[in-house]
Amino acid sequence: MREATSARVAHILREDGFEAYVIHGGLRAWTKAGHPLEPVPSEDLVLLPTFT
Amino acid sequence: MTEIASLLEKHGYAVLALIVFLEAVGVPVPAALALVAAGAASAWNHLRPEMVLIIALSAMLLGDTLLFILGRYTGWALLGFLCRIALNPESCILRSAESFYRRGRTTLMFAKFIPGINTLAPPLAGSMRMGLGQFLRLDFIGACLYTLAFTGFGYLFSGFLVAAAKGVETIGRAVEWLLLIVVMGYVAYRVYLYWKHRKYRVVPRVQVAELAGRLASGEAVGMIVADVRSHGYYDPGAMRIKGSIRLEPNNLRATVKDWPRDQQIYLYCT
Repeated sequence: MREATSARVAHILREDGFEAYVIHGGLRAWTKAGHPLEPVPSEDLVLLPTFT
Repeated sequence: MTEIASLLEKHGYAVLALIVFLEAVGVPVPAALALVAAGAASAWNHLRPEMVLIIALSAMLLGDTLLFILGRYTGWALLGFLCRIALNPESCILRSAESFYRRGRTTLMFAKFIPGINTLAPPLAGSMRMGLGQFLRLDFIGACLYTLAFTGFGYLFSGFLVAAAKGVETIGRAVEWLLLIVVMGYVAYRVYLYWKHRKYRVVPRVQVAELAGRLASGEAVGMIVADVRSHGYYDPGAMRIKGSIRLEPNNLRATVKDWPRDQQIYLYCT
């Protein structure tokens, strides 16, 4: 299912009383439409282990 | 088996190189059987054993190095692509990375004997910044073990293989049925997931143009744009929608418990 994670999270938030929506097409559609982006802040990055 | 042997007899080294290369880059072709058949063809003097080894090793190392370089330059995206077939792609990426980090060097030497892992190991090594020299050394050892094991088997048991070919075909049919059952089971599971998640399809969607308009028009007060991806966050330089925040799905309720309920929350993933 496309947008699986955002749809699941939105469903849970709606159950909890929030007004939640899914952005159709996700980041790919947003990027394709040329809307503004920003780098993910370093404190939010999940760095997986590396050999170096 | 007999078809592969016949192809090897006609086109020899080119077919062997092609099959081994294709398997190395992840195409599900029976390279082990081709190596066994090439070993047997060497014993019957149809192929030269040293050429079989050189060609098989070169093709395997070429395919593995290609995936290693792709892994190095695409970061986790290639692993994400290879994990798309998994039932839980995110956990496939995390488990593969952690397991490979713990046992990576040994894994690389024996990965070729484990279907699935043989394709994942080189891009993982690339993504995890293993040195090219170290990768080539370990992969060469792994490729030698794999090539020698199967060509050696074919060479030593070439006489037995002809008699066994008929039996192998019977076993092959049984394996085909088993594979069919596994594929059907997988499809049934995906249908079950689709049915189970039907409630998520009624969650309202918003088009990107509409949201961008709302954000630009000053309606943004009381709006939160939240990124619920995880595997967009593995690579330095990853991008997200400007002004959005990260919302970790596995820690959702604890994160939002104090958020006012009248806010509009717009969620996106990949």
